[in-house]
Amino acid sequence: MTPFEELQQAIIDGKAFVSKALTERMLKDGVRPGEFFPKAIIPAMDEVGRRMRECEFFIPEVLIAARAARASSDILRPLLVGAEAMSSAGTVVCCTVKGDLHDIGKNIVAMMLESAGFKIVDLGVDVNAEKIVNAVREHQANLVALSALLTTTMVNMKSVVEALTAAGLRDNVKIMVGGAPVTDAWAHSIGADGYGKDAPSAVELARQLATA
Amino acid sequence: MGTYAGTGARETPEPGNEKMPDQPTHRITLQPVHAELTAPAGTALRDLLFAQGVEFPCGGQGRCRGCRVHVLEGQVSVNDAQRERLSAEELAQGWRLACQCALDDDLVIELRQWDAAILVDETPFAFEAREGLGVAVDLGTTTLVTQLLDLRTGRVLAVRTALNSQARFGADFMSRVEFAVPKDGGQQLRDLIRQQIGSLIEQLVFAAHIPQEEIRDVVVVGNTVMHHLFCGLDVEPLSRYPFEPDQLGLQTFRAPELGWKLSGPARVRFLPCLGGFVGSDILAGILATNLHEREELTGLVDLGTNGEIVIGNRERLLCASTAAGPAFEGARISMGMRASTGAISEVRVEDHSVRCRVLGNVPPQGLCGSGLVDAVAAGLELGRIQSSGRFTAGGGAWELAAPVVLTQSDVRELQLAKGAIAAGIRMLLERFGASARDLNKLYLAGAFGNYINRASAQRIGLINFPSEKVEAAGNTALLGAKLALFRPEGEDGSFARIRQQTEHVPLNADQSFQETFVEEMVFPNMGARTWEVATGETPEANTQNSAPRI
Repeated sequence: MTPFEELQQAIIDGKAFVSKALTERMLKDGVRPGEFFPKAIIPAMDEVGRRMRECEFFIPEVLIAARAARASSDILRPLLVGAEAMSSAGTVVCCTVKGDLHDIGKNIVAMMLESAGFKIVDLGVDVNAEKIVNAVREHQANLVALSALLTTTMVNMKSVVEALTAAGLRDNVKIMVGGAPVTDAWAHSIGADGYGKDAPSAVELARQLATA
Repeated sequence: MGTYAGTGARETPEPGNEKMPDQPTHRITLQPVHAELTAPAGTALRDLLFAQGVEFPCGGQGRCRGCRVHVLEGQVSVNDAQRERLSAEELAQGWRLACQCALDDDLVIELRQWDAAILVDETPFAFEAREGLGVAVDLGTTTLVTQLLDLRTGRVLAVRTALNSQARFGADFMSRVEFAVPKDGGQQLRDLIRQQIGSLIEQLVFAAHIPQEEIRDVVVVGNTVMHHLFCGLDVEPLSRYPFEPDQLGLQTFRAPELGWKLSGPARVRFLPCLGGFVGSDILAGILATNLHEREELTGLVDLGTNGEIVIGNRERLLCASTAAGPAFEGARISMGMRASTGAISEVRVEDHSVRCRVLGNVPPQGLCGSGLVDAVAAGLELGRIQSSGRFTAGGGAWELAAPVVLTQSDVRELQLAKGAIAAGIRMLLERFGASARDLNKLYLAGAFGNYINRASAQRIGLINFPSEKVEAAGNTALLGAKLALFRPEGEDGSFARIRQQTEHVPLNADQSFQETFVEEMVFPNMGARTWEVATGETPEANTQNSAPRI
């Protein structure tokens, strides 16, 4: 196994301690910080996503894998400067919409997007449209990811789309939505740009939307 | 729980509740609910089962097959009426018409009318006799149970059960809220349920041959959404965070206001709720299990879609609800079904393979909640399922009994359900600074609490307490409603006291809930129920890393 493969395995197995130690050792051995994402972290999390989709991995495994990925990326980020700086895939403002407190799904999506190279601005739960508009403006986000787990709160996604339009920001951002009661048809009906049925699809969708 | 301590005279012994010292008694076990009764020899099965909510469509005349039961153990004699209605094969298999039989042996009986049987309550209780008759109503999201009681003797005179007629507008209560919020949906649901309960009460009156003027008191209990819909309150606050309605208190009506044809002085009370997701059914459960007067730390858990938990003692009670989802009811399970004929209700490990028990002596058709919990426990025991929930051999399905299979995603659904409940219990205990071993007793309320195999529940880490501390308490909502019938006007204060003593804990708002929830999704590994074992990491490695922000 190459060191990159070893690191991938440590992330997939959720061994944060190992992934941290490996990252440090590889840096000492002369691996450039910019190489870690394309050669280890992103492929590892793609594999985690695949396993999750096939029911092989479940929430606990995905979360500890994401934590192991973070143990590595936390060391790397400060080292990524100048030309070495990771060409960020984009900035995502994410949250669970007003009236809703569920956040596991949103957190998994956020962690996987982060491992896929996106910059994440996580506003938390029960977030109103105004706060989202402000965050998009402040962070110059190009993506907004909204989660809702209740049929009664899902409607608030629509107000977010409307508020972004009213603020004149709608053309600057792509909006993606997800959560148990959300469907593709719903996403279309409220004027969102896409629907992610699970965390791996959300990552794919974000990649598509960011380059569209 | 107390026993009959009525001051009122009783002419006839209450079936199932009493032992007559100088008369031989027999024990009767009812499956699939595991209810046990004792009754004097010669007691008519009709009387015993009627008190359990079993219905007799032809009035117990032996003219139909509606009350047939499957005798699994013990002898029950056959008469001509049964020979006429049941085939020789059926009789040989142990099928009998309950209305034609008397108790002459210790019996284990499987009821065909499962749904009716799981709902009612026959727990003996202490009461102070009152004049007149009363009706107790357990208004569930799915089912309704009504019992007519003689308030002088505490006797149940009639039982009627039904499916909640609002169900056509959504199976779970959130979808009812969704229906009720816009336009006049709330009014429509209110009228429907009032009408349905009114007609059930008419049926009770008719069945018991009593003058309706004698009904003095009606007590209704239900979750907060049912409370709001019945009382005609706005459910909009229940549709969004923080899910805290302002009108939780006792609601009192006179029968005519509700459109009920009770001409007497009947008063109708909907007992107060404890919080947005903790209704008066739980308040009634506290009343029924006497949680609010106990010295020792005691718990009450209702294993439903919205698992409610109460933990505490006479000093202080904490309550919470957790979104467990419908897995325990067999919903969102690939071959899930309700506990009715054809459902695998039990799975046991024998000689390194599984043996399934199917309700109703028919080929297996699906898996009900208790079967699901058993199957996963068996899978863990056999090493087919790992503590992470993954199938050891990979693959999507494990055949339990053809054609019924357990799939990988079924295991995942169960992990969500059991994780939510176990996390809720753990967090409430933590608020008392207590751990599992400090809990004196845990009562399981509701139908599923009766069904579930406690050893299996322990094996999957749903109930992390030794079996001897866990007790099925039956329909505590209905029992609590009955107890309330014996507390006339001036004593409504006792509900207020329980409400004062009870603090509603919004688990979702607690930062550590999600983390605890994820930890509890993992199955215990050979008793060492830890996150570390499941992830293959050492505790040191975990604690040195920052806690997962989940």
